[in-house]
Amino acid sequence: MNTYLLQLKRSPRAIAGLAILLIWIFAAIAGPSLLSYSYTEMDMNNQMVAPGQEGHLLGTDALGRDVFSRIIYGSRSILTIALLTSLLSSIAGIIIGFTAGYFGGIVDTIFLRIMDILMAIPPLVLAMVVLGILGNSTIVGLTIIVSIAFTPATARVARGALLTCKSTEYVDAARIRGESHIYIMFVEILPNTIGPVIVEITARFAYSIMMIASLGFLGVGLQPPTPDWGMMVIENKSLIRAAPWTVLYPSLAIASLVIAISLFSDFVSKVMINED
Amino acid sequence: MKTEPVLEIKELDVAYHTLTDTVVALKGVSLSVAKNEALGIIGESGCGKSTLFYAIMDYLPVSSSRSGEILFKGEDLVVKTPKQMTKFRGSKIAMVYQNPYSSLNPSLTIGFQLEEVSMFHHGMSRKEARQAAVETLSDLHLGDAAGIVRRYPHQISGGMQQRICIAMALLCKPDLMILDEPTTALDVTTEAVILDIIKELKDKYNMSLIYISHDIGVVNKVSDRIAVMYRGEVVEFGNQNTIYKKPEHPYTRALINCMPRAGVLKENTQLNTIPGYVSRRSAAETGCPFVARCEKRNATCEEKYGMVERKPDHFSACDRAYATDIPDKVLSKEAGSIPEGAEPEHKTILKIDNLYKYYGPHGKRIRALDGVDLTLDRNNVLGVVGESGCGKSTMGHTISGLMRPTRGKIIFDGTNISVSWRKRSPETLRDIQLIFQNPGRSLNPSFTIENIIGRPMLKLLGIKSKQKRRKLIVDILKKVDLGEEYLFRRPKQLSGGEMQRAAVARAFSIAPNLLVCDEPTSALDASVQASVLNLLVDLQKDSGAAYIFISHDLNVINYLSDYIMVMYLGRICEYGKKTEVGGSPRHPYTEALLSAVPDVDPSLKRGEIRLHGAPPNPTKKIKGCPFAGRCHRKVGSVCDTTPPPRVNFSDTHFAYCHISPEVLNSEISVKGIKK
Repeated sequence: MNTYLLQLKRSPRAIAGLAILLIWIFAAIAGPSLLSYSYTEMDMNNQMVAPGQEGHLLGTDALGRDVFSRIIYGSRSILTIALLTSLLSSIAGIIIGFTAGYFGGIVDTIFLRIMDILMAIPPLVLAMVVLGILGNSTIVGLTIIVSIAFTPATARVARGALLTCKSTEYVDAARIRGESHIYIMFVEILPNTIGPVIVEITARFAYSIMMIASLGFLGVGLQPPTPDWGMMVIENKSLIRAAPWTVLYPSLAIASLVIAISLFSDFVSKVMINED
Repeated sequence: MKTEPVLEIKELDVAYHTLTDTVVALKGVSLSVAKNEALGIIGESGCGKSTLFYAIMDYLPVSSSRSGEILFKGEDLVVKTPKQMTKFRGSKIAMVYQNPYSSLNPSLTIGFQLEEVSMFHHGMSRKEARQAAVETLSDLHLGDAAGIVRRYPHQISGGMQQRICIAMALLCKPDLMILDEPTTALDVTTEAVILDIIKELKDKYNMSLIYISHDIGVVNKVSDRIAVMYRGEVVEFGNQNTIYKKPEHPYTRALINCMPRAGVLKENTQLNTIPGYVSRRSAAETGCPFVARCEKRNATCEEKYGMVERKPDHFSACDRAYATDIPDKVLSKEAGSIPEGAEPEHKTILKIDNLYKYYGPHGKRIRALDGVDLTLDRNNVLGVVGESGCGKSTMGHTISGLMRPTRGKIIFDGTNISVSWRKRSPETLRDIQLIFQNPGRSLNPSFTIENIIGRPMLKLLGIKSKQKRRKLIVDILKKVDLGEEYLFRRPKQLSGGEMQRAAVARAFSIAPNLLVCDEPTSALDASVQASVLNLLVDLQKDSGAAYIFISHDLNVINYLSDYIMVMYLGRICEYGKKTEVGGSPRHPYTEALLSAVPDVDPSLKRGEIRLHGAPPNPTKKIKGCPFAGRCHRKVGSVCDTTPPPRVNFSDTHFAYCHISPEVLNSEISVKGIKK
């Protein structure tokens, strides 16, 4: 553990990424209780107020809603969905990828072909179509659909990680000890693939944020009045000349979170892969 | 003898700087190599052999520093700039690395890679360079030189690849050639051929050589003088015969006694072990590098230190003349340690009947085992020896259940177990244990030693109580010389030898009746190997288990086994008691193997049988004797067309060969070891 800290200390980019990420997590957890405006509250006297005026830190939109409050509230849903998505898709990917890689042969061939088909459809399009059909997007629905869209990619990573461990002698040793397949896959092999799996989870986290923001931008994300960063951008796009802050700040929020996670995940992959 | 040295190293220090501290890699190394002289450097891993070579070539990483002098024909290489160094590298000092496969570019033809050398260093045109390449290849006894230059590295065998690397080094007509373990990755018969070539070329081109190896036997074959390195220092330096016969430094003595060698058998000798391990050296340390592990240390060892000329041209770093100071320690076991009473117990534990194992699809089948018969009694050790690809590991894996035989029967203790692990009973799984070659890969890095050893106990012995298991684990750890503190360590925190001992402990934790050891010591250093071998011998004697010991190293096999089986291309060549196969080999292949073995004792001279070429393609069905193509005593066309008959020499000793038994019996004098 100490070596991770030591390596973190020597990597200013990772520290910056981690710091921004922690700020967002803090904002999501504690932010709303510290705010003076609710995300739905409309200040009828102060519509499209510029940032810093009338007590609105980042200004207000056309309906007089506080942009800052909406961004802070929006971080809750996006972080929750992204975190759940990256975890769910990784777990599903591990189970599917491990099963395919471990048994090999016909199971693996079928798996690979199905994954090829799924990967041929861009995840964004897949999610959009499904969400469009379903109509009303909730946090749960969005999480499940984005997770499904990501699973082929994580399953491939998990399968690759398993294959490097599968041929080692400790697996052979477990086999001639009469261990079950489940035991070998999840007790013997899984702990040794944790490096690539963690790298995948952090990378998936950044992808999820972008995906959710994109879905919101395309109008199939969370529905109003729930504040959603992507949706905030599209809602206010007609105001981009009159009140640019209504578009700029949600966009900056998305960018800062994605960049922060990417910086941190770069560091994680460097540390995890250099380990051996 | 005294000529101007080609290379003279004076007080060379190299240190690596890490984040937290400085590690001394070389300290006060002084060596010299005369013209047309071969200097052998031996030492265990981590002793700075390769660092020395990198220091000479200026290949050290940026995090290192070096000081001292490296005089090459009077010019100091230490002060040269990288640009100036290119004039020396390759053209004046050439090198050959351990793994030929990774030193050749797989996507370029061999000819192209050889031409590059002359074009770069001598400014030749491509045509001239091709000419030079073909000429050099014929020096290396590569038959079809014009054909080889058109091929890619993967199309030729490992031995040929290494010869190509030597040819590359040779193309520049260097004054000094440095070889870093060039034959370690090769089979012993190929190694013998390469070593012959190296010796021949040295004299032909009047080169100097530095030959780095962990194997004193290999170094003996090519070198005139030997330097022994330990923890970054040269501890002894002298003529090869005196180094072996009268080693002055305790480390040299201990190292030689560690090695299984001619005349050393488990019945009469216990191998020496060196307690402790090669530790990193900090900058503050002074005194003898070996002091922590030396049996004969005294108060002066910690401070007084330096090379002393003991005899003409023989330097040792030990303060006292070890050889005269302390009488030669013979590590013999007490007489009668072989339980004579146990001899009549001829209970057969394993019987293999006509075993076949094929890999791959039809048409491209690899015949890994091609009809093997075998019986093994309790309390016996069967050594299985052969070159890589002879099917010895496949046999071990089939017996232990990792794979199912294609045809044939394996009868273990009366039950037919010619199925894979999935269909074996828990009793059989418990009774047959397998020890793998690489302990780093056979112990799960995520588990503690307690989990690793405890799991088979829980699974196969059904010991549910954790306390009870822990008690048993501590007991077994003690048996393998690991203390209780190892319980909670993970494999990565252990050294190679400790890991292999933990693997042995795991195998023995459930009292198996048959232990299959698949090259268990070939990844280990000599002193560590000795400790593992001793352990295996002791545990075998205590438990009465039978062993199948698979190894490519005949010295190890000869030390440990009761019976020896020689395999070639999935078939048995010769089988017999250790004394029979080792002492009077009958099969031509056994002869060739024995004559290729590098001896620790340089005065032993073996027969000069060299095998050329590579084993035939295992996917082709061979009608006659598989060895016919390389056999030096081929009878005639009958060898190619008819499978060789079994020839019995005694109740236990037989071989498969077409040569008539009378001839095989009468020509013992040309084989084996000649003094």
